[in-house]
Amino acid sequence: MSWSLARKVSAALVAILVCTMALTAYFGYAKFAEQMSAQVQSRFSFVVFTIKRKVEDGLSLGFALRQLRQTQDTIELEKARDDRVLGIEIYDASGEVLFNTDRGGVGSAVPEAWIEVLKGAPGKAFSLTDEEAGVVGMPLVNTLGKVEGAVVLRYPAAYLEQGLGEMLGRLAFELVLVVSGFAMVAAVAAYVLLGAVTRRLGAMEATLAKVMAEGGEAVPDPGGGDDFEVRFAEFVARSREAVEHIRDSTDEVERMDRLA
Amino acid sequence: MRLDSSRSLLVRLFILAVLVLVPPTAIVSYRALGAFEQGMAPEMDKKAAIVGQDLRTQLERAVGYGVPLERMVGMTEFFAPVLAANPELRYLAVSDPDGRLLYLHGAETAELQADFRTAGFGTGRDGHKISVGPYFDVALPVQAKGGAVIGHLHVGFDRAYVTDRLANIFLDVAVVLSVSLIVAFEVLLFVVFFNITGPLKVAGWVVDRVRRGDFEHVPSVWSGDEVGHFVRAMSNSVRRTDEAYRGLMAYIEEVRTAHFDAGVVARVAEVADRVRFLFRFSPDGRPAPLGQRMATDIRLPLFLFVFAEEMSRSFMPLYAGGLATPLPGLSVEMMTALPIAFFMAAIALASPWAARVTERVGSSRAFVMGMVPAALGYVMTGFVFGLFDLLLWRVVSGVGYALVTVAAQTYISQAAREEQRAQGLGVYVGAVLTASICGTGIGGLLAERIGFGATFFVSGALVVLSGVLLARIMAESEPPAVVAVAARPKFRRLLANWRFTVLMLFAAVPAKMALTGFLFFLVPMILWQSSLTLSEIARMVVLYPLVMAVTSAIASRLSDRFQWRAGLVALGGLIGGIGLLAPVVLDGTLPIAIAIIALGLSHGLSASPQLALIPDVCWTECRAFGRVSIMALVRTIERAGSVAGPLIAAAFIPMWGLNGAVIGLGVLVLALAAFFAIASGAYGSGPHIETEEETA
Amino acid sequence: MIARRLLLALCAAAPLLLPALAGAAENGASAEKGTPARPYRIYMVLYRGWEECAKGFKDYFTNQNIPVELIIRDAAQDKSRIPGFVAEAKELGVDLVFTWGTTVTQEMLGTYDKVDPEKHITDIPAVFAIVSQPVGAKVVPDFKSSGRNITGTSYLVPMETQVNLMRSYLPARRLGMVYNPLEANSRVAIDELTQLGRRLGYDLVAKAVDLVDGKPSVASIPGKVAELKDAGVEFLYIPPDTFLNVNRDVLTGAALEFQLPSFAAAENPVLNSRAMIGGVYRYYTVGQLTAYKAEQILVHKVAPKDIPIDAPKRLSIIINMPVVRALGVYPPMNLLGLAEVHDPEAGP
Repeated sequence: MSWSLARKVSAALVAILVCTMALTAYFGYAKFAEQMSAQVQSRFSFVVFTIKRKVEDGLSLGFALRQLRQTQDTIELEKARDDRVLGIEIYDASGEVLFNTDRGGVGSAVPEAWIEVLKGAPGKAFSLTDEEAGVVGMPLVNTLGKVEGAVVLRYPAAYLEQGLGEMLGRLAFELVLVVSGFAMVAAVAAYVLLGAVTRRLGAMEATLAKVMAEGGEAVPDPGGGDDFEVRFAEFVARSREAVEHIRDSTDEVERMDRLA
Repeated sequence: MRLDSSRSLLVRLFILAVLVLVPPTAIVSYRALGAFEQGMAPEMDKKAAIVGQDLRTQLERAVGYGVPLERMVGMTEFFAPVLAANPELRYLAVSDPDGRLLYLHGAETAELQADFRTAGFGTGRDGHKISVGPYFDVALPVQAKGGAVIGHLHVGFDRAYVTDRLANIFLDVAVVLSVSLIVAFEVLLFVVFFNITGPLKVAGWVVDRVRRGDFEHVPSVWSGDEVGHFVRAMSNSVRRTDEAYRGLMAYIEEVRTAHFDAGVVARVAEVADRVRFLFRFSPDGRPAPLGQRMATDIRLPLFLFVFAEEMSRSFMPLYAGGLATPLPGLSVEMMTALPIAFFMAAIALASPWAARVTERVGSSRAFVMGMVPAALGYVMTGFVFGLFDLLLWRVVSGVGYALVTVAAQTYISQAAREEQRAQGLGVYVGAVLTASICGTGIGGLLAERIGFGATFFVSGALVVLSGVLLARIMAESEPPAVVAVAARPKFRRLLANWRFTVLMLFAAVPAKMALTGFLFFLVPMILWQSSLTLSEIARMVVLYPLVMAVTSAIASRLSDRFQWRAGLVALGGLIGGIGLLAPVVLDGTLPIAIAIIALGLSHGLSASPQLALIPDVCWTECRAFGRVSIMALVRTIERAGSVAGPLIAAAFIPMWGLNGAVIGLGVLVLALAAFFAIASGAYGSGPHIETEEETA
Repeated sequence: MIARRLLLALCAAAPLLLPALAGAAENGASAEKGTPARPYRIYMVLYRGWEECAKGFKDYFTNQNIPVELIIRDAAQDKSRIPGFVAEAKELGVDLVFTWGTTVTQEMLGTYDKVDPEKHITDIPAVFAIVSQPVGAKVVPDFKSSGRNITGTSYLVPMETQVNLMRSYLPARRLGMVYNPLEANSRVAIDELTQLGRRLGYDLVAKAVDLVDGKPSVASIPGKVAELKDAGVEFLYIPPDTFLNVNRDVLTGAALEFQLPSFAAAENPVLNSRAMIGGVYRYYTVGQLTAYKAEQILVHKVAPKDIPIDAPKRLSIIINMPVVRALGVYPPMNLLGLAEVHDPEAGP
């Protein structure tokens, strides 16, 4: 593999550039997704909270959770208000679904994790992830401070990607554009920067070849000849001198050999 | 620009790297921020709407009961908790149909009134969004029972809210960018040294020899680039000259053996003598290749290797803490400290063995050999289930680390034989420091996103990368030189040198104790408890190598110029100890930051003077056993401090808590440093030859 | 009101079993509780028949799917029947006894300084409700623990809570009170209010109604209210006083006439008269809380002496909207959000 200096340097720079941009993009997106999902969650938490308030008002009037029939209307209204909501469910402490925007789901049992979360930290809002749904929920507490059940709201876990796909695609395109643009800049600049080195090496090499082949003086570059080039000129001269001397000596020996 | 000196080329290339890395990062970050802001705007609107609708329902209920909108009571108390619970909302307000503000909480009337009077908010139930000064305002109509709009409820949020929340993306980007620039610097350094400066330096030596008429050597360079081409041309030229000489000599030999005329034979011999007098050629029949190993050649592999280890710097105790399960007789804190202590102990115990391996197989090969256990250790660390397998894999990594660092130091000290030794040491310290800065910073950031386990996999991958790179370098360089086996220093005799013992026990050991006990062990735990994120912890921990890098550059200059070594070591120790006492007077994370900076300052001041002090205080021993073996011993003693640090800190925690442990460690370190400061007063200056008489 | 009529039917002294097979029909799986083989048997002794507290007590078990068998006895305000209930409860060997009111509680369970295992229930755990002064009546030595095999609930809103509620509506610096000088409880209320005022920063003006022939005069009430208004009173406190309760229309009417907001410590003056706001514990809620304590004893096997005696956490705030509108003194939004609004003119 024979790579020129400029290629080595620009390859290194481009590799670093690509890694930097990939990391930047990844971290940036992760942060954004984090903020976005916090924002989405806070909105759904608010919805859940308003439902919780209504249900608890009913509980404090002495109704049992399953008796609060108007709750079904409340959750259906809230779901209708936001097309991002997959469903809202209310279940009791034993995990039986009492109300569900999907009426067919009433009477079914909720996942074990949803019951566990009520026992773990009583009275606190919680968020879980289902297979493809995010879940925010709040426990329902009666006037005696006892957890009667919970209200949960499910929303698509792919919520972020849904509306933002186009924007992210555009950003990715811009990213590729910028990276390729600067990769080219890197390549060109590396070529220019190392060109001086290459040129001077080439010049010295040519001088060496010329002097060795035809003789003459090796003159260091009159403008910018540095210490190395001065020394190299001496190298060339000395090499030439040696070659000539050896040639002369050979001639001399030959002469003597023939003379005799 | 000098062809065989890298500085100016390197500077230009580094400027290029900055130009190629910074603007695209800035452009993309800026564009992304704009897009993200736009992406989040609909969510913000929805949130404002949903909060507004709830408040409006309550207002309309009150209106329905006959409370006039302009005579609502307790609106501040009504609005305040909503604003408190929803930080993106800046104000809540109610206006009458003319846009006059009836109630407002969270903003100044003057900011809004003028715009509200002219706005006209409409009657659509879903509200109407306008932009008012620095805010977005969502106005929801409030209806009386009959349906007449009697006013509007306003939910205001900050236009800059999203930007503000996303702004800390820039901190992450800044970390990534800084690390990239350092990596770019390391890579360019490597590319330039390995491909240009190094070969040309070798070429330069050949040039100088030829100038003196010495054609014994050709530069040995195999690369295919322009430098390689040039050097080959040079070699060919030398070889051709050599061949011409060989031809002449063969001819002369022929003449001398075959010629009948003794006079001619004598004259031909004269010619041969003249040529030999004027020029020198290799006696072996052909010019010998002249190669040179450069200390800088292994800087990049070393950098990558240390980078890998430093990735887990800011979270190792947290990882261990998560795995620790209480065991009789062993507190959770102690178990959390064990992985660090075991790792350090593994390095300490494996180092003498590593030195023997290095002697036997050569430093380059030992370096590559060390990569195997190291990479295995990291990858398996990412897979562990409990504390015990974590300890096992940390030990494996530690053995690898010992092998690699010992090999690297040996390689550098051999390569730097001709160069200035200090410069060679600078290569090692520089690579370790920059790797520490990069690894720590990016490690925390990565762990926060991809988890602890995956971060260890990245570490493993870096080690493999480092190994591949090193294998390529080795392929292009000559086989390792045979190392003279150094005499083993006599422990007793060294310890009888009181200056050496005091320096070790009261300066070197406490410095390492503070480093591992405080920075590696306590800092991540304390900051995690103060609910800092992993990347924030990493940014705090990285202060140490940053401050140290800056300070040590200054300190080594000071120490060289004024021969002021013991004093700097003492000063450093005192600063470090005092820094650890910061939690006595301050609360929160600030004292931890102060202590970290003080520690960086402390070690920056004392590290290189301490190294330089060793040949001073045990001049005779260095002469007797060789500096290298004395240094190895010094490192082993230091590592005892590294092992003790986390264990001592962990023992303090159950008694005094985390901050108390910092203070406890601080008192200990300060006491030892104070003793050293007093004792070092009796050191005098310069080499202590008299120790020979004292111990004899 | 339906409930009240229902309880008349139940008042018959004849034993009447009410098996509450709560969740069994509605919910086959009551997984979280170890459903006992037989329902818990609770012996309920009432004093004024079946009312809201007893209903709350019963509903709690239904709502929580706890199978109970309630054995209901009503003393019908006749103290002499109670020893018979004690004997019957012992004979039946019930799991728990519920007592309603101070009289029933004292007679069934004795006072803490005078318990006679012959005359009182001692071995069977008991819960009491609607005892206005559990400590004063010597049912328990203090609210933290009964020190014996009973626990219960209190139902009177602490004075400080009442004052805080009043002043959260209107930060009045001067409260007024019209009282019946013959009612000892009124004196207690005045003392309490005055003491609280020193701490909370208000003062109290109390006016006793005139006594005519040793009886409180209804006709003097409006005058007293007018005097209070003249004295700069901003809020009228109506104590839970029988005389004032009977004449609540006169009192609250006068308050409205003199534009004085009024606060009642009972439901009646708000719901059935013209007091502006009231703060009470609903008997229903008290009954639920009592049942909750019974659950702790029966299901979770907590010793009654380890269960403190307390009142429901959530106060029922009732706002009488027509009066509010007439006075033009509107409730703060947060209070309105918490309150039950009584607004017969406007519907719910």
